[in-house]
Amino acid sequence: MSATSVPATGPALSKSSPLYFSGQGGDFFRLLVNGSLLQIPTLGFYRFWLITKIRRHLWSSTQVAGEPFEYTGTAKELLLGFLIAIAILTPIYLAYAILAFALEEQHALASAPLVLIMYVLAHFGVYRARRYRATRTVFRGIRFWMKGRGWAYAARAILWDVATVLTLGLALPWASASLERYRMRHTYFGTIQGDFVGTGWVLFKRSWWTWALGLAGLVGGVAVMIRTAKSSPDTVNVMGGIVTLGVLLIIVGLAPAVMAIKTRWQLEGLRFGDVAVASNLSIGAFYGTFIKLILSSLGFLLAFGLVVSLGGGMFAGIFKRSLAQASVGGFNAYTVAGGVGIALAYLVLLLGLGVIQRYFMGRGLWERAVQSLWVSNLDALDAAAAAGEPVGATGEGLADALDFSVGI
Amino acid sequence: MTGAVFYDGASARRRSVAVRVTSSSVDIEEAGTWIASWPCGRVRRRDAPEGILRLMLDGEPTLARLDILDPGLQTAIRTQCRELDGRNVGERTTRIVLWSMAAALSVVLCVIYLVPVAATRLTPLVPLSWEQHLGRAVDNQVKLLAGDKVCAGLPGAIALATLSDRLRRAAMPAAGTSDTVVDIQVLDAAVPNAIALPGGRIYLFRALLDRAESVDEIAGVLAHEMGHVRHRDGLRKLIQAGGTSYLAGLLLGDVTGGGALVLASRMLLDSAHSRDAETAADAFAGQTMTSLGRPAGAMAQLLARIERNESKIPAFLSTHPVTEQRLKALEQFVPTVQGAPLLTDEEWRALKEVCKTS
Ligand SMILES: [Zn+2]
Repeated sequence: MSATSVPATGPALSKSSPLYFSGQGGDFFRLLVNGSLLQIPTLGFYRFWLITKIRRHLWSSTQVAGEPFEYTGTAKELLLGFLIAIAILTPIYLAYAILAFALEEQHALASAPLVLIMYVLAHFGVYRARRYRATRTVFRGIRFWMKGRGWAYAARAILWDVATVLTLGLALPWASASLERYRMRHTYFGTIQGDFVGTGWVLFKRSWWTWALGLAGLVGGVAVMIRTAKSSPDTVNVMGGIVTLGVLLIIVGLAPAVMAIKTRWQLEGLRFGDVAVASNLSIGAFYGTFIKLILSSLGFLLAFGLVVSLGGGMFAGIFKRSLAQASVGGFNAYTVAGGVGIALAYLVLLLGLGVIQRYFMGRGLWERAVQSLWVSNLDALDAAAAAGEPVGATGEGLADALDFSVGI
Repeated sequence: MTGAVFYDGASARRRSVAVRVTSSSVDIEEAGTWIASWPCGRVRRRDAPEGILRLMLDGEPTLARLDILDPGLQTAIRTQCRELDGRNVGERTTRIVLWSMAAALSVVLCVIYLVPVAATRLTPLVPLSWEQHLGRAVDNQVKLLAGDKVCAGLPGAIALATLSDRLRRAAMPAAGTSDTVVDIQVLDAAVPNAIALPGGRIYLFRALLDRAESVDEIAGVLAHEMGHVRHRDGLRKLIQAGGTSYLAGLLLGDVTGGGALVLASRMLLDSAHSRDAETAADAFAGQTMTSLGRPAGAMAQLLARIERNESKIPAFLSTHPVTEQRLKALEQFVPTVQGAPLLTDEEWRALKEVCKTS
């Protein structure tokens, strides 16, 4: 039932067309491993090329009625965006450092609220990064593009964050709806304006039980802790561990359901003119991917531990000497070899977990979501004419420089 | 059955077209009408799923795309258009790797060589008043990390004041109004340590005082820290930490560096000054003690004793390792004329108990 078999003639496209993900897992895995290995000699600079390759793979493997999307962004643009972001951030960083010192002189930790500056910049960067990705997304020879202002979006996002915190997360569905509306109404496919019709109320109705369960777990945990502290104070540490683990398990257990509910709601609300999207993503759709993620991470950690302890035994002599040298401040071939060995092992661990995370959280969830979609009234897109200009990748650079994720 | 689909880049309309490939160009026709001819040399491949060969025209301002679906036609285009993937694909990856290796290497070399030099050059340019402001900020951080109980029990505090006064007069005889102000305090902390903050404050940790057996041992340590103050080693380290965290951020994609101040304060607490800075501070301590007519080697004995007896080597010693070289260098400072004891026995006992009486 490959989508490429959908005939390219008019009538078959009439009402509802499925989305199809045609990417091969093996290709993606090879791409990840090669890219990650290249990050080692380049000390991470290869990340711009890797992220571009990932996007090209995902975009071009996603087809609507046999027609693929295309990602036209380049790694050079990302690199340039990063350099511009550095140029913007350096004076901010300096001012920040001076202000932090001035405040810390009055009080330790007095500069903590300065993190807020970075937080505002983060929301701004997220919006601008989405804008960059939209203008590099091409479908049927027409690009997507975005209007709207990063600062206006950041202001909204911050107000909603405040409301969410004040209501213990209850406002989250309405926050998501409001922000998604802002994003989608400022998104265009050529001359066709996007829209978002999902409402906070619908998302709330679908997801309130996860919120209630999570909150109940938290309140229950706190209650148990208080009772333990009163009745048997010496077991409070053990109990604390058990309760934290329990609450953590509830949250981890609920996460795939929450993500599936939200993803479906978000996708179903998408509109471009008369073009509408439907999804049959089930609540349990992401659990398999999550379980695979956890199992392969554990497997990798186990294998890594085995290799390191075997290798460590073989090179124990070198490490001992290197430690002995380092402790008296010496600096010679042994310290260098030991240092490089430890750094390499650490890098391999980090990159390996990164590959696993990107394979399942990046590609895995993407595939599940895409396969759940139908698009209706696709013919309406014929009316779209080219519009919009490509924008720079400063937002992506900001996100990279400030170390927060904007997703794939 | 259509072999190709053309998107003209002006509208999203899907146009079923017929494609003819010659050795010079790819000609596109729709229902018998000519639309476009793409010169073979400028035709490039774009990403597409298996089964589709997606083409674009290099240098074309619009996003016009030609999707070839027919396998026969795909083969024809692959044989006629030789530069579908542009030129030198393999070379490009090598270049990326080489350039980014060069960039990464230059950042690393900056951290290792340039930042210390820059910090050394910048340090004398910073006005003392600024250093004192910085010092107060670092002071707050240190107290957060090491505890903030300053011991000022009365007889002990007076003894400390007497001792630091004698040391200061010997260490900085010409100390004028514009010079560094040294301010020594005892911090009630369980690690044997002593640190000098930027701006002139010196913290003697209670545990070091507990392990000392004579005034000369403590006096030597304090004189050593005064050497760090005099040479502004704390400020230099702060500048170095800031620069390093910024450059590391450049490399790893986190320019804010997660709080240079916290990092710098931690470095002050548990990482070394450079070897040169330590040697200079030792020499300073040696001269100071000699001019007071007291043995500088006493300090070395205290450090060596702690190193022998402590099961876990305290941070102070991993940063101030007692090498043979250091011991010898310190013991070479032998006063020609024996000076009077720096504190009376009674004052010394009071100083040892400074944390109990408060
Ligand atoms: Zn020292």
